Amino acid sequence: MTESLLHTSAVAKTFGTVVALRAVDLDVRPGEVHALLGANGAGKSTLVKILTGVLRPDAGLVAIHGEPAHFRRPSDALARGLAPVYQDPAMAPDLTVAENLRLTNADRDAVRAQLAAMDLDGLDFGEYVRDVPLPFLRMLDLARALAFDPQLLLLDEITAALPPDLSERVFEVMRQWKARNRSVLFISHRLAEVREHCDMCTVLRDGQNVASFVPGEGGEAQIVASMLGEAATKVRDEARVRSATAAAVGERPMLQAEHLGAGRQLHDVSLSVHPGEVLGLVALEGQGQDTLFDILAGDRKAERGRILIDNAPVKPRHPFDVIRRGVVFVPSDRLHALLPQRSVRENIAAPLFNRVTSWGPINGREERRRVREAVDRLSIDLRAASQVRRLSGGNQQKVTIARWLARGLRVMLLFDPTRGIDVGTKHQVYDLVRALADEGAAILMFTSELREVALVCDRAAVLHNGRIVAELPSDAGENALLSAAHGLAEVSAS
Amino acid sequence: MSVVAFDGTTTRLPEPSSQLSRLARRYGWTAGVAVLLAVLLGWRISQLPDFGDFEIRTITAGTMSLAFLAMAQAVIVISGGIDLSVGSMMVLANCLSAMWMEDQDLAACLALAVLVLVVTTALSTVTGVIITASGVPDIIVTLAASFILAGLALFAIGGPGGGTSPDFQEILAGGLSNYWPSILWMVGAIVLVWIPLRRSRLGLAIYALGSNRKSAFLSGVRIARTRVLAYSIGGLFAGFAGLVVTASTGGGEPRATIGTNATLNSVAAVVLGGVALTGGVGGLVGPVLAALCLTLIPAIMLGLGWDPSNAETARGVIIILVVLVAGLLQSRKRPV
Repeated sequence: MTESLLHTSAVAKTFGTVVALRAVDLDVRPGEVHALLGANGAGKSTLVKILTGVLRPDAGLVAIHGEPAHFRRPSDALARGLAPVYQDPAMAPDLTVAENLRLTNADRDAVRAQLAAMDLDGLDFGEYVRDVPLPFLRMLDLARALAFDPQLLLLDEITAALPPDLSERVFEVMRQWKARNRSVLFISHRLAEVREHCDMCTVLRDGQNVASFVPGEGGEAQIVASMLGEAATKVRDEARVRSATAAAVGERPMLQAEHLGAGRQLHDVSLSVHPGEVLGLVALEGQGQDTLFDILAGDRKAERGRILIDNAPVKPRHPFDVIRRGVVFVPSDRLHALLPQRSVRENIAAPLFNRVTSWGPINGREERRRVREAVDRLSIDLRAASQVRRLSGGNQQKVTIARWLARGLRVMLLFDPTRGIDVGTKHQVYDLVRALADEGAAILMFTSELREVALVCDRAAVLHNGRIVAELPSDAGENALLSAAHGLAEVSAS
Repeated sequence: MSVVAFDGTTTRLPEPSSQLSRLARRYGWTAGVAVLLAVLLGWRISQLPDFGDFEIRTITAGTMSLAFLAMAQAVIVISGGIDLSVGSMMVLANCLSAMWMEDQDLAACLALAVLVLVVTTALSTVTGVIITASGVPDIIVTLAASFILAGLALFAIGGPGGGTSPDFQEILAGGLSNYWPSILWMVGAIVLVWIPLRRSRLGLAIYALGSNRKSAFLSGVRIARTRVLAYSIGGLFAGFAGLVVTASTGGGEPRATIGTNATLNSVAAVVLGGVALTGGVGGLVGPVLAALCLTLIPAIMLGLGWDPSNAETARGVIIILVVLVAGLLQSRKRPV
């Protein structure tokens, strides 16, 4: 048996009363690309933080090449050859790239060489980090980690923010690392990436490692099954999600956009969503979808075109103008929508106050009833209910949806609602979206996962370069959607 | 500012931002404050027919204590904190130095000045340690510290009094028409203390800390230590401000309102000088120029024959207007 590069045994960590890690045993061998998998809240992030010296474990052992390691801060882990690329960018926005590199004692020439190897040597180090687009910031984080020439590279959800071609360069780096008999610990929600690029995977569930196997052999089914455990039996046949669509789609559109345009991102978008229908919006990164949703949600003014809600033109000046008409927005950044320090109950009730109260004090009983209904319906995990920021990502997303359920809605705008959410919760969200549509809501959902179109949507509109370039049936297939999203259906405007 | 665009399947690198926009980001606000200062100075000169060395010295020496207090506050605010005790620290340094320096010669005064600086730096360090170790918000700890320091000052000196060597006064604040010492001390503090610090790893760490504490931590910055050091530096500057008060008044004055007023003025100078209260942005030159502006405004108003209370109001209005206009300019610069 080869000696392992990184070994942990019975690592445990609790935060107050919440047990994040019970006992994790992990073995990463030299020359291995090892995937760390688990549903949201399974403890992946906590384990990564322990491995990189951000947190200290309450119990258990971390060993590198058989020698125990006690990391007190991130630089300790770096010194022992563990270089992380965190989920959140680890660079101070008000400093330049060069200053940030100096802060970590990273060798600028080495970073530049790593960038060059990834075909990104044009990046200007005098640039303020604030001005560097997120995908390149991730690549920069990666290059900085590589410049330390680590034994073990930890990649936490690095591909989540990357377009496909940049992801491919990350995989190339992983292959090189493997060829040099070094290791990579890879965390991703994209199972296809795990299957294709990882030699081994360890699955965490409820703070424990429950399985280790070669991901390419078992297929996604095995991965999902071990991630969800008991719950796996509840995951239904995906094709059945849509078959529930029995309710007739309403005749008159509930939400219409006519030739919307704003700034340089959005040129001409017309679409209509009918009651009882889920319209999927498909686009690559940065095609104007953010602007479109901001406009529809009343957060930004359209410079051209108009919006009709229930056939009446609306010129929203404030999100309240559209919320009043039953149009609600669920952004992908959960903490952007929630009050992180407040309780689940208050968060769900916040949009309710417009309704529940007339003048005067809040009707506590009515508030509690509606909140309870919403919580039950979404089966939100209330163990950490006193502060929303302590919930897992999936549960936070449920709360953002729940607050609109409690309020009542006619149109729901969902922006990539399942980004960074585990498979089990994803299915709950799909079910919920379908159920809402069946109850007569009109739903516009932007998704970065193409398979969700077939799973959840009735139709799909494709946005490219600020224009709707195609409208396809939901069963058009991922390839058709993808080529349309690349602007291949017609002559590209660029 | 460029957008990540897809060209087929290749993600292209963004165009680098222009050198000019970077310079504007780094020095724009300071340049703006410098222009404001020039306008105010021109106005003041036009009010006084025989504007000369004496008047210059009045402005520079009169500003010096606020300028150093603004530097103290700026370092701490850049690191992402705030210090409501800088004014009381200045009063304490003033009282201690006046008490100790009475009837001493220059050499002894200089030695005692160093001792005072050591004391204020140490006290401020203790404040920083309490903040980082206890987790109590800085605004509360420093507010409490301001009461304690004001109390200590009064306890130490008992009432207005003390004194210092005239030579010491000359060296720090300059004689009646000698403006050079006051200018040299301010420029010296920036050139000899601030610029080397700004370029050091500690300086970078202070900026990174204020910019985004989490990413600073992930970059290996020793968060607690850096925060404490920012307070230590603040204590050093605040102590020097107290020495300046001793040198320009020739005595110690323990009234607590002096301290609270000075603290609020330091915050005003920092904001006007382009330091973001959220941390990570700004420098020390802006606050010093802003301190000069804040001293000039009441003088100009009085020169116009305004009531002093109206002059105070005008000062507040100008702060709001400047911050408002600068905020508008900056938000327009944000990439589309």
